[in-house]
Amino acid sequence: MEYKVKEIKNGVKLHLIRNEKFKTNLVSVFLTTELNRENITKNSLIPAVLRRGSKNMPTQEDISTKLEEMYGASFNCGIDKRGDNQVLKFYIEAINSKFLPQDAENILDETIANLLEIVFNPLIEDNAFLKTYVEQEKVNVAQLIDGKMDNKARYAVDRCIEEMYRNKPYSLYKYGYKEDLDNIDEKSLYKYYKELLNTCKIDIFVSGIIDEQISDRICKMPEIQNLNDRNAIFNMSNLQENINNNEQIINEAMDVTQGKLVLGLNLDTKDENMQYVALVYNEILGGSANSRLFQNVREKASLAYVASSSYVKIKNNIIINCGIEIKNYDKTLKLVREQLEELKNGNFSENDIDTAKKCLVSNIKIIDDEQDTEIMYFYGQEFYKTKLDINQYIEKIQSVTKQDVLNIAQNIKIDTIYFLNDKK
Amino acid sequence: MQIIENLKVKEKVFMGKLENGLTVMIIPKQGIQKKYILWGTNYGSNDSEFIVPGEKEITKVPDGVAHFLEHKLFEQESGRNSLDVLTEIGVEANAYTTNDHTAYLYEATDNFYEALDEFMDYVQHPYFTDQNVEKEKGIIGQEIMMYDDYPEWKVYLNAMQVMYHNFPIKIDVVGTIDSISRINKEILYKCYNTFYNPSNMVMVVAGDFEPNKMLEEIKKRLVDIKASGEIKRIYPEEPETIVKENVEQKMEVSRPLYTIGIKDIPMNKETIVKKHIAIEILLNLIFGESSELYKKLYDEGNISSAPNMDYEFSRGYSHILIAGQSNDSNLLYDSFKEQVKKVKENGIDEKDFDRIRKTIYGDYIKEYNDITNIARMFLADYLKGINSFDYIELIDTVNKEYAEQVLKEVFDENKMVLSVIKN
Repeated sequence: MEYKVKEIKNGVKLHLIRNEKFKTNLVSVFLTTELNRENITKNSLIPAVLRRGSKNMPTQEDISTKLEEMYGASFNCGIDKRGDNQVLKFYIEAINSKFLPQDAENILDETIANLLEIVFNPLIEDNAFLKTYVEQEKVNVAQLIDGKMDNKARYAVDRCIEEMYRNKPYSLYKYGYKEDLDNIDEKSLYKYYKELLNTCKIDIFVSGIIDEQISDRICKMPEIQNLNDRNAIFNMSNLQENINNNEQIINEAMDVTQGKLVLGLNLDTKDENMQYVALVYNEILGGSANSRLFQNVREKASLAYVASSSYVKIKNNIIINCGIEIKNYDKTLKLVREQLEELKNGNFSENDIDTAKKCLVSNIKIIDDEQDTEIMYFYGQEFYKTKLDINQYIEKIQSVTKQDVLNIAQNIKIDTIYFLNDKK
Repeated sequence: MQIIENLKVKEKVFMGKLENGLTVMIIPKQGIQKKYILWGTNYGSNDSEFIVPGEKEITKVPDGVAHFLEHKLFEQESGRNSLDVLTEIGVEANAYTTNDHTAYLYEATDNFYEALDEFMDYVQHPYFTDQNVEKEKGIIGQEIMMYDDYPEWKVYLNAMQVMYHNFPIKIDVVGTIDSISRINKEILYKCYNTFYNPSNMVMVVAGDFEPNKMLEEIKKRLVDIKASGEIKRIYPEEPETIVKENVEQKMEVSRPLYTIGIKDIPMNKETIVKKHIAIEILLNLIFGESSELYKKLYDEGNISSAPNMDYEFSRGYSHILIAGQSNDSNLLYDSFKEQVKKVKENGIDEKDFDRIRKTIYGDYIKEYNDITNIARMFLADYLKGINSFDYIELIDTVNKEYAEQVLKEVFDENKMVLSVIKN
């Protein structure tokens, strides 16, 4: 694997990942912009409108037919929240020519050109997007927003984070708000889209079996030539934010069979290096089958099937997640508190640290076995001042000591306890 | 070992059957960090009635035993859980149960052989006690309740309920709170001894290995058990007809979920791959993103994304499933039936057919991007009597005329069902 990054315009980066082990080339464009209430719904609508048609492929059918001709190349787009940023993501994955019938043409350049066309060369009429597309996609985005409640386990986690960050940008729902949709039309959305393209951070990734000249060829593509230099407006990782709700308890009722208990924990530290310690701590708490939560809540007490925790690096939070019988709320919460207390009191061994490190390192080593994971790793580095390659990242994990973990354990606070229960 | 190579996707499989009946497949992949192993037994939730080799009486066990066994095998006599032991050396282990097989697995970057010791030890040494069996009922009970909150799972299960009269594909893989309450350690041992005989099992390994060395390492760790005779599996008689056409359930969802099912005749090993390819092409022609039907439903605001479309089959059953979210599922269902009729009457456009066939070829190649996927695919296909490479080899032999014939035979309006979940 070979990774190269080049700033091709101010605020526009081209990332090339040469990796010979895949059957496909994966090309992606990420537009990163500041997360705020004013623009969140517009940002959510833009990919939905762009995928409906571009200047040279004006309908969805044209795009689909084109991709099908390319041996089922697949286009994908979506919205993500990364720290205090909103990310508009666009992908095309296409088979590498090595695995196509001999008479087929090299489709890498075509893959890149098609993706750039969809993102940067939209279908425009009278200085606006197409009215029918925008109106239809407003309905679809409204449904996407409503769909938040469909997966109850994820809903519970989303709701816990919202309560932790109430009135702060990070509490915003990534797909936006229904009431904002009424004020958006094809003209205002297009106007905003042009503004976005001039101010957002742009990252273009090409991963797969690629040649040396690819970079030059991309830079010559008209969509790239037309991009301006910009001072990209986005937020780097910010560990300074102070959220201290001091164990607020939130109960909510829905039509569920199983209760979903979610705890949001706050790590009170401003040191970027503490993130690696937090990863190790989280692994011991609820990151694996060996963890405190899995062992005690699931295996010993038989209270849950899911009992785990995850570390949100960019916001420095740990989220604990248990699916339990509703009547077992008190029992489970007590048990979870005991696990936090145990770690605080230093009741863990060098062996626990060692196990946690092994699991983490193993997961880091396989980052480059999967194309999208690898792209997301390098994209993630964009939010930190010090950029680490995979080996440096492993070294950081390896250097964590028991004392480091103890320090973190003693500075962890429960911020929010959220429980989704039934309507009875 | 026999070497099977596919020149199109440029992959190789080393395959052999050992003396004790165990089938081993080794898929070498250079340059991949991850090493993946999958040990499967030809035993899933459909197999709850059978005759143990050497016995005359039929054995019938409660629903959910295959899955219960999957949970319990990790427990060791030492009081330790193998999942923990493997985690301690940085190895992530897991297992899963389907309708027709159960599989144990781990992935490792380092310590692969150390993990192999533990892995092969626990799969070959069950340890069930009254106490550890009882404890698991609480955990599995929560797993069942978790699935109760998944509308995607419910809409699928309901479709099975109205498609099948008797065939066990209609029951939930995990069983029910009631059926698992009737499971005890005697039942678990009996099923284990019957279905976990090496002759009923397949091991698939994928990663950067030297195949012959890998095979020796596996052989070294096998306990001495002789191949057993054939296990006679008993499945209830299943009529070709559906039970009823419509089923609806209320759940708190933002937008209705639908699944259209088309019941097909039980699979035939000899022709299944070609038929499967033809059905995948047909589904994409009828309801794929470039289809007339998709455009119509999208423009009407009925759907906002392409449905998931699958042809599922194994011993004794096969059916098509089309699933997604829709604002008016009945209208969608009617439009689908109409489109099927239209294609039957007008025939398939040659250009569309060629383009979609290219797409499906691409999809088959993409399956080989990830070793986890490769191993799972080879295991599942093998247990159905299929060599996975056949999809890539046979796709060129599927032509428009054959697809039209399959369309007439399989897409029968009298065998379609609609399952809906809504508020």
